[in-house]
Amino acid sequence: MKHTLGQIFRSPKFLVGFVIFMAILLLVIIYPLFVTDNPLGIIGQGTFFEPGIYVNVYDSLRSPQYILNLDNAAINRIASRLGDQERQDMKEWLIEYGVPEDEIDIDDTESLMELWVNNYDSTIVVPGMTAAKRKYYVRLDASLEGILATEGFHISVRNEETGDLDEVGYVNQKDYVNVNQVANVRILPLGTDNFGRDMLTELVAAIGVSLKIGLVAGLIATMIGLSLGLLAGYIGGWLDDIIMFITNLFTVIPSFVLLILISYSIGQEQRGAITIAAVIGLTSWVWTTRAVRAQVISLRNRDHVNLSKLSGHSVLHIIVADILPYIASYVFMALILQISSGILAEAGLSILGLGPKTTEVPTLGLMMNWAMIYSAHIMGKWWAYFPVIVAIALVSFSLNLMNTGLDQVFNPALRD
Amino acid sequence: MSNYMLEVKELTTKYITRFKENVYAVDHVSLAVEEGKSLGIAGESGCGKSTLALSLMGYYFPPLHYTSGEIIINGKNISGMDPDSVRKLILGKEIAYIPQSAMNALNPTQKIIRFIEDVVHAHHPDASKEYILELATERFETLGLPPNVLEKYPVELSGGMKQRTVIATSVILGPKVLIADEPSSALDVTSQKKVIKMLRDMMDKGIIKSMIFITHELPLLYNVTDDIMVMYAGQIVEQASAKNAVFDPLHPYAYGLMGAIIVPEEGLRDVSLRAIPGVPPNLKDPPSGCRFAERCKFVQPECLVNSVLMRELGNNRAYRCIFTEEELREFYQNDKK
Amino acid sequence: MLQAKRGMAVFSNCQSIGGAALKGYLKYFGGKLIWFLITLIFAFLLNFILPRLMPGDPVAIITQRVVQGMTSQTGIQKVYEEYATLFGTNRPMHEQFFLYVRNLFQGNLGTSFSQYPRPVADILKSSLGWTLALQLPAILVGWMIGNTLGALAAYVKKGFDKVLLPASIFLSNLPAFGMAVILLVIFGVQLKWFPTSGGYGFDMIPKFSWDFIKSVILHYQLPFWSIVTIAIGGQAIGMRSMSIYELNADYVKFARFLGIKDRKIIGYVFRNAMLPQITGLALSIGTMVGGALVAETIFSYPGLGSTILTAVMGQDYPMISAATLLITLMVLVTTFLIEILYGVIDPRIKAAQTD
Repeated sequence: MKHTLGQIFRSPKFLVGFVIFMAILLLVIIYPLFVTDNPLGIIGQGTFFEPGIYVNVYDSLRSPQYILNLDNAAINRIASRLGDQERQDMKEWLIEYGVPEDEIDIDDTESLMELWVNNYDSTIVVPGMTAAKRKYYVRLDASLEGILATEGFHISVRNEETGDLDEVGYVNQKDYVNVNQVANVRILPLGTDNFGRDMLTELVAAIGVSLKIGLVAGLIATMIGLSLGLLAGYIGGWLDDIIMFITNLFTVIPSFVLLILISYSIGQEQRGAITIAAVIGLTSWVWTTRAVRAQVISLRNRDHVNLSKLSGHSVLHIIVADILPYIASYVFMALILQISSGILAEAGLSILGLGPKTTEVPTLGLMMNWAMIYSAHIMGKWWAYFPVIVAIALVSFSLNLMNTGLDQVFNPALRD
Repeated sequence: MSNYMLEVKELTTKYITRFKENVYAVDHVSLAVEEGKSLGIAGESGCGKSTLALSLMGYYFPPLHYTSGEIIINGKNISGMDPDSVRKLILGKEIAYIPQSAMNALNPTQKIIRFIEDVVHAHHPDASKEYILELATERFETLGLPPNVLEKYPVELSGGMKQRTVIATSVILGPKVLIADEPSSALDVTSQKKVIKMLRDMMDKGIIKSMIFITHELPLLYNVTDDIMVMYAGQIVEQASAKNAVFDPLHPYAYGLMGAIIVPEEGLRDVSLRAIPGVPPNLKDPPSGCRFAERCKFVQPECLVNSVLMRELGNNRAYRCIFTEEELREFYQNDKK
Repeated sequence: MLQAKRGMAVFSNCQSIGGAALKGYLKYFGGKLIWFLITLIFAFLLNFILPRLMPGDPVAIITQRVVQGMTSQTGIQKVYEEYATLFGTNRPMHEQFFLYVRNLFQGNLGTSFSQYPRPVADILKSSLGWTLALQLPAILVGWMIGNTLGALAAYVKKGFDKVLLPASIFLSNLPAFGMAVILLVIFGVQLKWFPTSGGYGFDMIPKFSWDFIKSVILHYQLPFWSIVTIAIGGQAIGMRSMSIYELNADYVKFARFLGIKDRKIIGYVFRNAMLPQITGLALSIGTMVGGALVAETIFSYPGLGSTILTAVMGQDYPMISAATLLITLMVLVTTFLIEILYGVIDPRIKAAQTD
């Protein structure tokens, strides 16, 4: 046993898979200890906030301010206001005006601004330009002037009695706050989803739930598969015929069809995470049954089994003591596969809207479902679906890698 | 001067392991088989018999590599020939090989006759199907196999039948030398007899001109082959006629082999059973002295010093030991008491 | 019934002619056919019973929707009874079942709840067409390419294998919808090579014009390739293992020793390795179709996948029942056909039946 464990942990494929899986598992366990927020708590008012560090503006106004003299501060300010569209428009106007095209570099903010400031005149009528467009350019110029201004902002608070604005502070363009000193800062490494939930916290919780579902489904499926396979394989006869008949029925009827039907019949109310796991388990035992049965059949005529039979041991004893140990490694690998496919099955179900209740826990499939329904992928909000896919892929991949590694240890013929 | 069908001179071939080490599984082996004669090669598992068989055919593919020595088949020197020519000209045509547990050597989804067609076409692309069918039917009948086997799939034949089919197929082109690697080890006694009878028939009828029979069962060789060679750790350690090898073994290993078998032959029944203790040496790093020394009952300090060469006694007798005939026979006399 | 009778006639005919091989075949096919029929009945049962086990009364839900604004109690009651009769929910279960089967054979799959009063058969007719057109070729193509690549990797070994193996392991672990999203984002959104949803441009009406067909083909690409790549991943690994196993088989060595050219031997090997792959396809087609259906929804492709999605959201159980039945039928028929194909190709089946 120890020797086998040693071999297992020396197999490169197993190790890689194991490390990845453990990393994910640890993340799922440790993260909630530090970040205690409710994963389904809606913290963003609005949809799909981008990943980033969110600093409370109100608090930053009240935090100690420091003056920093940085060279490119002004350029950065302007550059962030000038999107691609604006730059393109400015270039167009300048060309119409007569500036040679090769002198205009829309990526060089400084020179572009310089050209604009020197040449733009709102009174000039460019032939062929609509009135709306003219007004657009006027607005553009006005907003740019705002950027170029060197004045700071005045902070005022409305006086309750007089109704006037009383100035309480002044913010210079060179004033900086230290993020660590701002009272409320929230890092959203993965932004928010369509509801406004913290994606990272939600994702970690979802991985945990999906893993749980996968585990329960896998255990149930493996248990059923193991029992049926053992009975069919060892006892044989009419029991074998019945079990194989049922198994064949369930092979041809696609398991996900069953999943859809059963899941739908249970109704929205009853669909907790564990219930779904049970349903998945109850519909995916077919492959394991077949495999276990095949193994048991090849084992049941081995010498040591015959010896036990001759010694008068009971059927149960023979199954447990003589057959189980030989198929243990195989069953363990089957378990891993069932867990992996259980997770994928739940994801598929959830995408169709037949997964666990949406109000209690997030699962990986549910998160995908929400992202799809709210068109995140079309709008380019990659953080709403891409991390989920990566999570699914990593979990599935690491489990299967571990399995391949185990396979190579138990079946030396497969080693390369 | 009789015609040598196969002559091998100082053949050495090696395996290159995945760690780039050389294992000389066949170490300077020389042998010769005359027309109409058969040679048996005996030895433990792992002594290099099968590797020798592969090496004799001249077809090497990694990790087996030819190192040195000569192989001459019916006058043609094929040592170092390129693999493609070997396949076209030699394999199946001049030399045929029957693998161990030949029962699995047939493609499960192909009718026997189709496979025979492929074998013939590989060497005579123009042969017609009718001709091949005729040849196969006639050959099978001659060897005592029912011709309806030709239209069957391997799954429809019994183990013994499959073995004999494989043998009959491998000699369909009438090769000069047939190398049979443990052709009967995986069978029941009745089938064993049939196989051996078949091999003898093929020799008698001239279908094959000579045969090399590889096995670990020495007494079998006594009944089948004319001469016997005993192999140990990649080297030939004794060479003699069948009778001499079985009844008057000179090399201590051969002597040990005879002691380790149950044989109802006259003169041997009263000898007690002794197994040879120990295991063969690792050929990655062969011992400097005699390779059998550490297991030899009669080992002396001189045995461990220098590598031992074959002693030719003439008259088709040779053995690899530092002791003389007389000394060895005396050892054995005393041992039996 | 008719088919069985016909089968019997051919059977007895063969007996008189004395064609032993044909009789063997028929025995094999006959067995498979009977099995097919049994599974079919079972599928009907399941598709009927399961949705009806759902708690709550769907007729009540519809009634509620329809009687918005009505206040007369008797009026509401009448509406309810009318729907109950229409959907047959006011009769005992077994009666309902026979009604169901009878309707099925007449092509009547009931009326959709969510798209009332459109009959389900109507809605499904087009969805089925789209799904068949997409999945059948996709799975086949993926299977073929995957097997070829796997076989190549086993034979060529060196460089190609080292690239193929990790790639296939990765692909086979990615669920179909995962690949769907990836392709969608890369080729649909970023590169804008292909449209991201629908079966055809939404400004078009289905007709046999070149424009329409072009649009369909364009919209077809992303869903098609998602399914194909995943199928490749799954098949390549299996074929590679089978091929490696076969390449090291005794009969390969023996054939070599008899001088047979490598090319011929490769032919043997891959023919033998292919056989379990065909069976494998039959076994896994159920799962592949499942994955493909989910992929369809990612693209809002107008196939059965999206139909189920809408049906679930609309609590439309006749639609769900019918759609799942159709899918099951699709898979059953395909599996049956594949098994027949296997019986024809594997000579051992023919041989084993004749003695």
